[in-house]
Amino acid sequence: MVLEATMICIDNSEWMRNGDYSPSRFQAQADAINLICGAKTQSNPENTVGVLTMAGKGVRVLVTPTSDLGKILACLHGLDFGCEMNLTAGIQVAQLALKHRQNKKQKQRIIVFAGSPITYEKKTLEAIGRKLKKNSVALDVVDFGESDDGKAEKLETLVAAVNNNDNSHIVHVSPGPNALSDVLISTPIFSGDGEGGSGFAAAAAAASAGGVSGFDFGVDPNLDPELALALRISMEEERARQEAAAKKAAEEASKEEKGGEQASSSRDTTMSEAVNTSAVIADDKRQNLTDVEAALLEQALAMSMDGAKSSSVDMIDADMSDATAEDPELAYALKMSVQESAGDSSTHSGMSKVLEDQSFVSSVLNSLPGVDPNDPSLKDFLASLQDQSETQQKRKEDSPEKDGDK
Amino acid sequence: MSCLHDHSCEDHNCSADWSLHTHIDLSKVSALNEAVAGSVKSVFKPWNRRLDTSEGFLESNDGDPELLVFIPFTSDVKIKSISVVGGSGGTSPSKMRAFINRDGIDFSDAQNMQPVQEWDLNENLQGLLEYQTRYSRFQGVGNLTLHFPDNFGGDTTQIYYIGLKGEATQLKRDVVATIVYEITPNPSDHKTRADAGSLAHVE
Repeated sequence: MVLEATMICIDNSEWMRNGDYSPSRFQAQADAINLICGAKTQSNPENTVGVLTMAGKGVRVLVTPTSDLGKILACLHGLDFGCEMNLTAGIQVAQLALKHRQNKKQKQRIIVFAGSPITYEKKTLEAIGRKLKKNSVALDVVDFGESDDGKAEKLETLVAAVNNNDNSHIVHVSPGPNALSDVLISTPIFSGDGEGGSGFAAAAAAASAGGVSGFDFGVDPNLDPELALALRISMEEERARQEAAAKKAAEEASKEEKGGEQASSSRDTTMSEAVNTSAVIADDKRQNLTDVEAALLEQALAMSMDGAKSSSVDMIDADMSDATAEDPELAYALKMSVQESAGDSSTHSGMSKVLEDQSFVSSVLNSLPGVDPNDPSLKDFLASLQDQSETQQKRKEDSPEKDGDK
Repeated sequence: MSCLHDHSCEDHNCSADWSLHTHIDLSKVSALNEAVAGSVKSVFKPWNRRLDTSEGFLESNDGDPELLVFIPFTSDVKIKSISVVGGSGGTSPSKMRAFINRDGIDFSDAQNMQPVQEWDLNENLQGLLEYQTRYSRFQGVGNLTLHFPDNFGGDTTQIYYIGLKGEATQLKRDVVATIVYEITPNPSDHKTRADAGSLAHVE
């Protein structure tokens, strides 16, 4: 938001008829100037911009520094091309125009579009640069169009002579598919000294490039606020839906873990993958350890203990995970039916032995994300596990029916 | 501390004399052709710190000894004399030209305009020399511009201290900042605290 008076020096020499920048060099220059004027006046309403031409019959000031954008744009029409550009005279006249600006508080800046070849010596340019620096005038140079050897160097020395604390810049634009204005938008010429017109620049970039640069959804909230709002809301809804799905997957993964404590390598890998994904997802859900989750954990553990073969429990876990996520009663009913159909005692006893190993269980629980091993309900449950496993083993010998309720 | 004047310092306090620096609007002080932007502010300090360069000093760009210093004041002042401490090795300024109450002077203006007063300076490394002004011309100074066109042969010009001696009035030179014109003014809208206690009031 720096307060600035800017003079733009246009090159309207014969070299501007060339078409290597579409549609013609001159047109590309005019577009770039339009954008610059807009950016300057937007970054600070008290900024003023003026325009002069360097070629033609002689250096001519078209508009003295003004904040009226319409005047500036109007004067760019109907410009005719002329002989050769007079760089030194152009800069001196620009300096004079800035000296007589109305608001002396504005900083002075000159922007030069140098399209034709430079015939001056480096020394002359350096002297001009030093004079500008002495009067604290900043200079930006856009080097485009002709590029005979030495032109880039000469302009670099000019800008280096003026540069005071990084206030002057030079941009070399080579001919190509990109429009001159697009290339300039990303340069410091547009963004002021790192502040100011970047918002405008982003909007202009989005508009002209038709791309997604600078805005979330490729739509400028300034231009179309309702569309931008609608896009943002739908994005958030989608995100919420994905989070819910991910949460379900995490619970499913945690149930699978408890169900499959046998050292089966394939299952281990899948489990680890599931744990990884659930770990990633559940990282921000660490605070969301709810009672529901603890209850589900207990249910899962009970199921794996009392239930049939672990594999069938796994499958049923997978089938029932969706249901259990939503309806704990339904889960309980399903669990009961599963337990009744169970019959394999060997695996069960193996499982129970594994589960009896308190340290193993606690280590597994510790490795699970989202589980707080110090949760008192969990500790109670683990303690009861011991008793339950003993009683269940006794019951197993008596009858196949089990009570898996916890 | 002894101030090396040929009088005894119990009579007056040298620091207090050179106190106009407190009336300088430091945020708006600016200089042209300074090597480091903003270094001109370090030049205005109390007299007893005039040789202290810990906060930097004002130096011109390489190869160009000209300096232009713009000093606005917070209220109108009357300037009796000016003291300038320069650098050694030929970097002290050799001439000083002063302009009063002019905004936005740059080098071409300064070189062409007739100054209010100009002095030939000597090297003043200890800050003991002071240059008197034609007091009648320096009454009611809102801002002062000092132009140092040349030095004693050095590559750059260095200034460590600029001291101003004089009086500050309480007047401000700037006129009204904002004026609101009313077609039908109503005095009751403009009650001040002073009016609140007065006997007379207008309906």
